Amino acid sequence: MNRVALGRSIPWTLVVFLIAVWVPALGSRYDTFLGTQIAIDALFVVSLNLLLGTTGLVSFGHAAYFGIGAYACGILMKTYGVPFVIAFPAAALIAAFFALIFGFFCVRLSALYFAMLTLAFAQIVWAICFKWNAVTGGDEGLPNIPYPKLDWISSLPGLGDLSIADEFYLLTILMVALSFAILRQVIRSPFGRMLTTIRDNPERAAFIGLNVRAYELAAFVVAGGFAGLAGALYGIFNRGAFADYVFWSKSAEVLIMTILGGINYFWGPPVGAFALVWLNQEITSYTQYWPFVLGVVLLVLLFGFPGGIVGGLVAGYERLRRMLRPRHA
Amino acid sequence: MAASFLFSQFVGGLTTAMFLFLIASGLSLVFGVMRVVNFAHGTFYMLGAYLAWQAVQWLSPTGENFWPAALLAALGIAVLGAVVERLLLRHLYGREELYQLLFTYALVLILGDAAKFIWGTGQLSVTRPPVLAASLHLFGAEVPLYNLFIMILGPLIALGGWLVLNRSGAGRLVRAASYDREMLDALGANVGTIYTGMFVVSAFLAGLSGALVTPIESVVPGMDVEIIVQAFIVVVIGGLGSFWGTFWGSVIYGQVLSFGILIFPGFSLFSVFALMAVILIIRPWGLFGRPIR
Amino acid sequence: MRVRHVLALACAACVLAVLPAFAEGTIKIGFPIPLSGPAALYGVPILKGAQMAVADLNAKGGVLGRKLELLPRDSKASADEAVRLARELIIKDNADFLAGTLTSAEAPAVSTIAKENKIVFIAPSAKTASLTAPANLHPYIFRFASNTTTEGQAGAIIMSKWKDIKKVATIAPDYAYGRDAIASFVAEIKKLRPDIAIVDQQWPKLGEPDFTAFITAQMSKQPDAVFCDLYGGDFVTFVKQAMPLGYFTAIHNRLADGGEVGAVDVTEPLGANYPFGIWSDAYDPVIWPGHEPAAHKAWVQEMKDSLKSPYGSGWAIQGYSVILALAAGIEKAGSTNSDKVSKALVGLTFDTPAGKRSFNANHDADTGEFWGEMVKDPKYPFAIIKDPTYYNPEPVAVTD
Repeated sequence: MNRVALGRSIPWTLVVFLIAVWVPALGSRYDTFLGTQIAIDALFVVSLNLLLGTTGLVSFGHAAYFGIGAYACGILMKTYGVPFVIAFPAAALIAAFFALIFGFFCVRLSALYFAMLTLAFAQIVWAICFKWNAVTGGDEGLPNIPYPKLDWISSLPGLGDLSIADEFYLLTILMVALSFAILRQVIRSPFGRMLTTIRDNPERAAFIGLNVRAYELAAFVVAGGFAGLAGALYGIFNRGAFADYVFWSKSAEVLIMTILGGINYFWGPPVGAFALVWLNQEITSYTQYWPFVLGVVLLVLLFGFPGGIVGGLVAGYERLRRMLRPRHA
Repeated sequence: MAASFLFSQFVGGLTTAMFLFLIASGLSLVFGVMRVVNFAHGTFYMLGAYLAWQAVQWLSPTGENFWPAALLAALGIAVLGAVVERLLLRHLYGREELYQLLFTYALVLILGDAAKFIWGTGQLSVTRPPVLAASLHLFGAEVPLYNLFIMILGPLIALGGWLVLNRSGAGRLVRAASYDREMLDALGANVGTIYTGMFVVSAFLAGLSGALVTPIESVVPGMDVEIIVQAFIVVVIGGLGSFWGTFWGSVIYGQVLSFGILIFPGFSLFSVFALMAVILIIRPWGLFGRPIR
Repeated sequence: MRVRHVLALACAACVLAVLPAFAEGTIKIGFPIPLSGPAALYGVPILKGAQMAVADLNAKGGVLGRKLELLPRDSKASADEAVRLARELIIKDNADFLAGTLTSAEAPAVSTIAKENKIVFIAPSAKTASLTAPANLHPYIFRFASNTTTEGQAGAIIMSKWKDIKKVATIAPDYAYGRDAIASFVAEIKKLRPDIAIVDQQWPKLGEPDFTAFITAQMSKQPDAVFCDLYGGDFVTFVKQAMPLGYFTAIHNRLADGGEVGAVDVTEPLGANYPFGIWSDAYDPVIWPGHEPAAHKAWVQEMKDSLKSPYGSGWAIQGYSVILALAAGIEKAGSTNSDKVSKALVGLTFDTPAGKRSFNANHDADTGEFWGEMVKDPKYPFAIIKDPTYYNPEPVAVTD
């Protein structure tokens, strides 16, 4: 019990952030590249896990809010020349706004229907992004989203002269760390505990007078907003916003990352994102049969490690501790 | 607009609808009875198409042997369905829906790559069976006999499915299983066998629809992903667990597309999603579904 | 649990250890191209063509005394994935050049990466005019494919010679490629034949499984001729559904399709069900009755062997030629420095199996398409292009 409490008292977000800061110092452009992608995906999956793990809602259209964030930030920065400090929060607000509208209809439905309706709304968003040439660039997307002005990072004492990719990496991990800190507080707050109650026992939650739908909608909006932030960062990182960001296979991918890491732990999904991104990079260099490999990984996970990587590690750790400790304790 | 034109547009929409219904019918069964969102249904459909092409090549590539080839393909997919359900899916029933959904998605990935490995990435094509190669002149509209055949087969499957589900002993058990699995288990019914049976029938329908689509469509990699979301949406529009709902969902979709493109060119990309959103906003449980929460 | 950790680390170590230890000194060409989904139909033969060219050049001692190395990746026909792969190829695999991508969504996206990283990128098949439009042109982007403007114009030039037609309809996939090509066709046909009216335009989505409603809607407007830009699997599906509806009979097979449906990749699966008598095009007729350049004859045989296919593909030539163009550019520049290669490529004339091509000041190759009437030939169980004529957009004589 003590050790678990000890684990909880460590400010993991800060620890990971302080480690991640040193990645550009390794001097490899590729490490920074991979690090940026993992950090963004980590935020994306944590936002999904607010629905999945905390509230127990299976969204099959979470990519919609990621994509809306990417387009919103991209359009503001590229088309209208809005600075990043405004475009970035605006992307979150716009994504949250759409989450509010779509979520209003989705939370009225039960589990499977909820999943299917989130999927349908995501596909409508996709069709709009794909067709609305004048605004979204249609199927050719919105390439050339400018990098934010980040010279000030290099001018900080002790950082030296950094490339724009390194600067953007540092900005990304800072934004992701702040988002993690906020989401952590949200989950630990009374509001977060209500969400958990709804997940574990919706009837009881309704019985004690909770407005279940309102809580679910609130979670949906918060999750959508943070997915929008992740999308905004990703649009800049991947040098453009494309309709593929919204397509249902992207929603499936982020679900897989989340489950792979383990939905019962805050740090599960980021570990899943890390594992999947890394695995993808390694496998696709060798073979075009990446979907096959991913499918097999998924099967092993579903049948062998239903708790995901972190779930498996924690269970293994507990077992080890029990083995090492004398029985009578 | 001439009446004959409106008629032919109506028939065109009906053809689209019935092809979609063939695919969606199996999906609807598994969705309604077993509460499994089977993403691999589209992949079964694609494999059915590839198998049918393969069987036609084995038997004789001229097309006379289309019917036995189609049946062979459907049976092949039914066997695949049985294997998948017995060996794997069965172990996930106690778990949350999400895990079943991800399982079927894993199948999509694995079987899709397997098909690519076996049949390559080129497109394949099957000749229309000679018996149904001609067309019928009907009220000034040209109606290909093959389309007519599908338009008759669709309602027959709907009717057959409805009769089995609502007018037979087995059907009563299936319906009972869809309401309350545990209760039925406790009463001593063999729910495992019912589920296997349902999944096999559904896989058979997927394989059959894949085979039947080959004379009018090219067989290409990725045709599974192209169709599956559309099929899901038709099922959802109709209402969870309602076989007739899926049927009418398909019919409405076909007509909306058929006449929609007359008014808004370029509408086809939105049609199915827009229709679904509108219907679910008005009736969240679908046209024929029961309100549940 | 420890054991599992150790095992996992050991596995990871193994993976890292076998990471390709690339031979020092090869010239690396990153090649993102769709190898899965419907677009793989074209992606795979283009890649095979590129691999053939690399093998041929390496057999002759490589370029500047260095071997070429192709790094293929599956772009899934997605701009998002293509961009990610392009950057990974540059910063992880140290690619010297980029080639590849298939669609008009992938190529412009990868073009921005080429510009940022100052790496020459040659697109073998993306037709969208915007790729090299003034706003998007930069020193490192080159296009070997023909573009939507010339494609639509060539179709209009061909159709303008069909004297008795008055009402023309169009059908094309609903995305940038289809929209741009149709716009170019409409503009050109109105110029060439002011007496022609466009009576109907259909826009099915890419990958549409059922064209019936589009076909009946178009037939109701009773066009005399149709300009079509459906391609690949979509065209096969379209034909199989349009035939029994009497579509081709109604227009007396007066249809011109700019989507390379004259290529064996499409004619072979359709076999005897092809709508003989329509006009279409291909990058490479493969089967070339009449004036076939000698170099082409030998190349086609090699291509068929390499694809292990009796009839080959009309698309392999795009991958092959792109690598030849790049090699010629490196040779002329005497360097693998992209700035020098880029300068060398502008105005460069190089050999391809289908004749000489060159890049103009706009970074576009003068690549047209081989058009002709699609006819039956007793020697083949499928349609072939009768007397393939090189249109760019006007008919041009082919020289050996």
